[in-house]
Amino acid sequence: MSFSSVADTRTALETAGYICTREIATVVFLAACTQKPVLVEGPAGVGKTELAKAVSHSLNRQMIRLQCYEGLDEAKALYEWEYAKQLLYTQIVKDKISEVVSGAANLPDAVDCIAGQEDAFFSERFMLPRPLLKAIRSDAPVVLLVDEVDKSDPEFEAFLLEVLSDHQVTIPELGTLKAVHIPFVVLTSNSYRDMSDALKRRCLHLYIDYPDVQTELAIVRKKVPGIADGLARQMVDAMARIRRMDLKKIPSISETLDWAHALIALQVETLSPQAVADTLNVICKHREDARQVRDQARQVVNFS
Amino acid sequence: MIDLILQFVACARAADLRISTAEVLDCLAQIPLVDLLDERQVNAVMRANFAKSRREQHRFDHLYHLFFHELQVDEDVADAGSLAIHSDAIRDSLKAVEGSHPELAAISDFIAGDPSAYLQLLREIQTDGDSRRQGPGSNLGALVRRFPVLRALDRAAELVDRFLAGHRDEIHWETRQQVQRHLKRRMAVARNLLTREEVPDTPLIRKQPTGDERKKGIGDLAFNALSPSEVIRLRETIASLVRKLKDTADLRYAARSRGILDAKKTLRRAARYQGVPVEIVFRKKPPRKARLVVLCDISGSVWSSARFMLNMLYSLQECFDRVRSFVFVAEVAEVTRFFENHTVDRAIEKVLTEAGIDYSASTDYGLMLRQFRRLHMDAVNKKTTVIVIGDGRSNYANPEVRIVEEIRSRCRRLIWLNPETEQFWYTGDSEMRTYQSICNEVRPCGNLNQLSAFIKDLML
Ligand SMILES: Nc1ncnc2c1ncn2[C@@H]1O[C@H](COP(=O)(O)OP(=O)(O)O)[C@@H](O)[C@H]1O
Ligand SMILES: [Mg+2]
Repeated sequence: MSFSSVADTRTALETAGYICTREIATVVFLAACTQKPVLVEGPAGVGKTELAKAVSHSLNRQMIRLQCYEGLDEAKALYEWEYAKQLLYTQIVKDKISEVVSGAANLPDAVDCIAGQEDAFFSERFMLPRPLLKAIRSDAPVVLLVDEVDKSDPEFEAFLLEVLSDHQVTIPELGTLKAVHIPFVVLTSNSYRDMSDALKRRCLHLYIDYPDVQTELAIVRKKVPGIADGLARQMVDAMARIRRMDLKKIPSISETLDWAHALIALQVETLSPQAVADTLNVICKHREDARQVRDQARQVVNFS
Repeated sequence: MIDLILQFVACARAADLRISTAEVLDCLAQIPLVDLLDERQVNAVMRANFAKSRREQHRFDHLYHLFFHELQVDEDVADAGSLAIHSDAIRDSLKAVEGSHPELAAISDFIAGDPSAYLQLLREIQTDGDSRRQGPGSNLGALVRRFPVLRALDRAAELVDRFLAGHRDEIHWETRQQVQRHLKRRMAVARNLLTREEVPDTPLIRKQPTGDERKKGIGDLAFNALSPSEVIRLRETIASLVRKLKDTADLRYAARSRGILDAKKTLRRAARYQGVPVEIVFRKKPPRKARLVVLCDISGSVWSSARFMLNMLYSLQECFDRVRSFVFVAEVAEVTRFFENHTVDRAIEKVLTEAGIDYSASTDYGLMLRQFRRLHMDAVNKKTTVIVIGDGRSNYANPEVRIVEEIRSRCRRLIWLNPETEQFWYTGDSEMRTYQSICNEVRPCGNLNQLSAFIKDLML
C-alpha cells in the first residue's frame, strides 16, 4: 500500500478516520515518497498522535510506538539482554558447560573455553528488542511513532538522530544491524523544548494548529456520528470563541469531542448558556478558566 | 520553478531565515512530486523544509507572501502597457543619474519589474554579514551592509518623484498617479524584503487580548517600567528561557564530550560486578566554560536590569565555571555567598537588604573601582570574563580609567552592559564614552531580548 498523490493521501487518511488539511496531506505524502521522518509540532490534543495512527491504518502497516519521557535511554528504546533467560539457560545447560571446561588445565584456560562459547548467549535469542530495534528489524515495513520527543533528554535526541540518519544500530556483541525496511517515522512534540537543528534538518516539519471551524466540524461529525447537525455547528463556533479567550489551557480537539459526548448524554439539542455552564468541566481543566467561560457564557453561545 | 525557489531562498536568507543547503536540495527533490498548479501544495513543501519551528513559520509566511504574491503578480491596472513604458523610462533615467551606483541600479531594475539584481544584492549582504560575524555581539556585518541599500531606496524614491514632476506635461495626470502608486508599492516591497518585519519571537508569550498596550512581546518591555504582574510574567518567561538554554548547552556538551574509554574507571566499577565491566565509563572532556565576575551597579534604575541578569546567570550556574558577583553604589561588596546559600530569588532579595553597603550614597564608579582593585583584584585572571552592568553615571567623580584598563589587561574579556536606552548613553554625567573605548564589548541591556541574546552568546 502506498499513496499515489496528495489528493489520494487525503482521502486515505479520511477513510482511516482522520480529517486533515491539504498541508498535512502534502507533508505526509512527501514523507511517504522520500522516506524522511516527519516532525509534528503543535499544542496538546490537536491530533498529532492520531495522525501517526491514521497513517499506519491507511498504509496498512503496523504502528510501533516509542513514548518518550525524561530519563528514557538507549536500553529502553533499543534492546535489553534478557538476563533472566540467560541465567535460566546456563542452569539448564550446566552439564554441557562442565563438559566444555573439563579439558581445561587451570582457571584461565577454563575462562577461555567459556569465552569461546559466549556467542551462544549473546545472540538475538536472548535479546529483548525495544521499539526502535523492532521498527527497523521488522519483516514488514512499519510506522514508527516517536511520541512527545521533546520530553526526552538531549542525549537521547542525539542518539535518535543517529538511528534515523543511518537506519542502522550497532550492538557491541552482535555487530551492526541494518534496517530491513525504512520505517515511516513520525516524531511528535509539544514544544516543551526546541529540538536540535540537526534533527530538524533531517525531518520534514509540520505544525498542527487548532483547527478552523470547517475542519473541526468535519472531525466532530466523523467522530461523533450521532450528533445533530445544528448542535455540532453551534459547538464548534462556541469552541472557536472560547479559544480566543485568555485561558491558561486552551481546549483542544479532544475537549471538543468530550464536550460533544457530554452534550449528547445530557440530551441537549441546542446550545444555551445554561448548557455551557453545566458541561464546563469537560472544556476547562483549570478553575479560573472555567470561571471565565461561565462569566461569558452568553457571548460564547452568541446569545445577545 | 527551480530558479524561483532559489531566488526565494536567497531572499529568505537575507532576511535571516536559516535554511541549509541540504534543505534546499530536499525541497527541490520534492517539488516534482506535488501538483505545481495547486499553490497550497507547493507552499506546504517549502514550509515543511524551510520553516522548522513555529517562530520561523511566521517569518516564512511573511516572506512567502511578499515574494510570491506582492512581487510576482503584477498590478491589476487597466493600462499595463503604458505603465511598463513609463516604468522603463524611469528606470533608464535613474540609471543615468548615477551610473556607477550598483544599489541604485538594482533598485531601478526592481521597480521596473526585474528583481534578480536586487535579490542578488540581498544575498550578498547576507553572505557578507555571515563572514564578518565573529564572536559575541559583532553580528553587525549584515546590518551595516544594509544601510547603503536603505539610502539608495530613499534616493530612488526622491528621483522617481523628481522624474514625474519633470515630465508633468508629457504624462496624463491619471497615468502619472497610477505610475506613482505602482512604483511606491514596488519600493515598499523592496524595503520590506530588506528589513524583515519583526515578529514576536517567543511562542511562549501569549498575546493579552484585552490590553492593546501589551502588543509588544514581554521580551521588548524595558526592565525599569514593569508592572508587578509583568514582573511575574517576565520571571516565568525567564524560567522557560533558562530551561531552553540549559538544554542547548547540554546538547552541545553531550555531542562533544563523548570521549575515549576510561579504562581505569571502567575496571574499578567492574569490581562491583564480580569483575564484569557492566558499566563502561567514557572519559569526558569538559568543554571550556566561562568563569565570570559580575559587577552590578545597584543604584536606582540599573538595579531593575541587574537583578534579572543575576537571576539568569545564577539559574544557569552549572553552565559556567564559577560566577562571582559584586554589587556597588559607591562602596563595593561581594554577594557570591548569598547565591551559594540561598535560592536565586531569595538571594536577590538579600542583596538589597544584607550586602552591607550604603544605598543612599551617591554613585561613584571611581571609588568602587579603587576598592575593587584593593580587595578583590585576585578574582580577575586570564580565565575570567568580567561583566559590568551599569549606566556609567558617576556624578562627575574621577572615572579611574586606569583601573578599568588594568582590569581589561588582566582578564579574558571585559564586557559592559548598559541598561539605559542608547540615546542617553553619552549625556550628562555618563562616562560611557570613556569606558567604552577600553572594554572589549559594550552592549545595551534594557530588556529581556537583549539580555537573553547576551547570555546566549556568553554560554555558547
Ligand atoms: N484531524 C482529526 N481527525 C479526527 N480526529 C482527531 C483529529 N485531530 C484530533 N482528533 C482526535 O482528538 C483526540 C486527541 O488527539 P491526539 O492525537 O491524542 O492529540 P495530540 O497527540 O496532538 O496531543 C483524539 O482522540 C483524536 O481522535
Ligand atoms: Mg499525543
